[in-house]
Amino acid sequence: MRIVLDRPRCEGHGLCEEAAPQLMHLDDEGELVLDREEVDGADAALANAAARVCPVAALRVA
Amino acid sequence: MSAGRPRRIVVVGNGIAGLTAADTLREAGFDGELTVVGDERHPAYSRPALSKALLLDGEDTASHELPPAGHGASELLGVRATGLDPERRLVSLDDGTVLPYDRLVLATGSRARRLSDLPEELTLRGLDDALVLRERLAANPSVVVVGGGPLGMEIASGCLAVGCRVTLVSQGAPMALQLGAHLAGVFRAAALDRGLTLVKTTAARLERGDGGVRVALGEGPVLEAELTVTAVGDVPNTQWLSGTGLVTRGAVPVDARGLARPDVAAAGDLAALPTARGPRRVPLWSSAIEQAKVAARALVRGAEVPPLRLQPYFWTEQFGVTLKAVGHFPVAGEPEYLDGGPGGGPALMRWPCPDGSGDVAALDYRIPVPRLRRTARPAT
Repeated sequence: MRIVLDRPRCEGHGLCEEAAPQLMHLDDEGELVLDREEVDGADAALANAAARVCPVAALRVA
Repeated sequence: MSAGRPRRIVVVGNGIAGLTAADTLREAGFDGELTVVGDERHPAYSRPALSKALLLDGEDTASHELPPAGHGASELLGVRATGLDPERRLVSLDDGTVLPYDRLVLATGSRARRLSDLPEELTLRGLDDALVLRERLAANPSVVVVGGGPLGMEIASGCLAVGCRVTLVSQGAPMALQLGAHLAGVFRAAALDRGLTLVKTTAARLERGDGGVRVALGEGPVLEAELTVTAVGDVPNTQWLSGTGLVTRGAVPVDARGLARPDVAAAGDLAALPTARGPRRVPLWSSAIEQAKVAARALVRGAEVPPLRLQPYFWTEQFGVTLKAVGHFPVAGEPEYLDGGPGGGPALMRWPCPDGSGDVAALDYRIPVPRLRRTARPAT
């Protein structure tokens, strides 16, 4: 599975980083960086958790 | 409490608290029968988006959509819980179903407090409310918004942005009660600059007038507009829990792990958390998520789960200003500026607390929330 970021939507709340720090982080400018895009197993569950806490629906796991 | 592992868990409520609880139960190893009950027909969605992007976006109506749930629960949507028997462990639903459980999560959230029973009084709480409001705004009506909290201000901002003439009625200065005088001043200036008409009052009530509903102010004047929206607080949905002994002053008090009793957890807008100032609801998006995680784990694993240590995070966007804040607001007095300065422009502000921590606010200032949280902690 693949994490897809809709960058224009992202407002840098960073709740996704708090949910899945292994997979993504916000850089010093507050821009989201996906450290891994391809995920499976337990990581896919983490990616989904990250996507679901995003209040602006900027992340998808497809 | 029955010994051994729970086999059946029921989550009542399908907002972000219920959804997070159901997900977390699975992560915590619960592989039994999971049922989620939601009174809306929609799948879980982002409530914060309803009063922000969803009111504005022309064609983009997906800003509130969340990825599909992955918890594999049987979902009963469009069904409302009507009663709970905590001794026999049964939840009754309005379609006549009775659900037995070993463990239960209460996450029925809250509803808009209303000023009247008049159908012309619109409120914004759920997705259906937002869709109605969006549709009504398309005709560019004149609007009066009653309520000067973040929700009322966001609604007023959205209505202005789509071209409506908007009057906002507030008890005292808008946002002052929630944020304190300093930040309230910033939002007031931005709102006036964008053309909001601001009316302060001691009391407002809604009454039927010749041309529809109108807002009667305590001081005498009466306001009329083509559209009347109120945003005057929320009321926890706890009616269905009456007689259970779980409700105190309208909310469900829980312990530091979100448990109302050993087999019942509560999370989100209906839960009253233990705080230094007594049991308090913290009805915020990120708070609901954090509460639900701890509560769900505690339901499966008990006292080995670390208690919730909530550091409230809040954000708003209105009148072209965005605010992200961590800590306990409102705050008194002027801030220290960690970046930027008074007089407008992006700024990172901190109000120090006696224990060395601080309440921090990022105004038009892009900062990762984890870093904002670190800024709020005591300097080491």
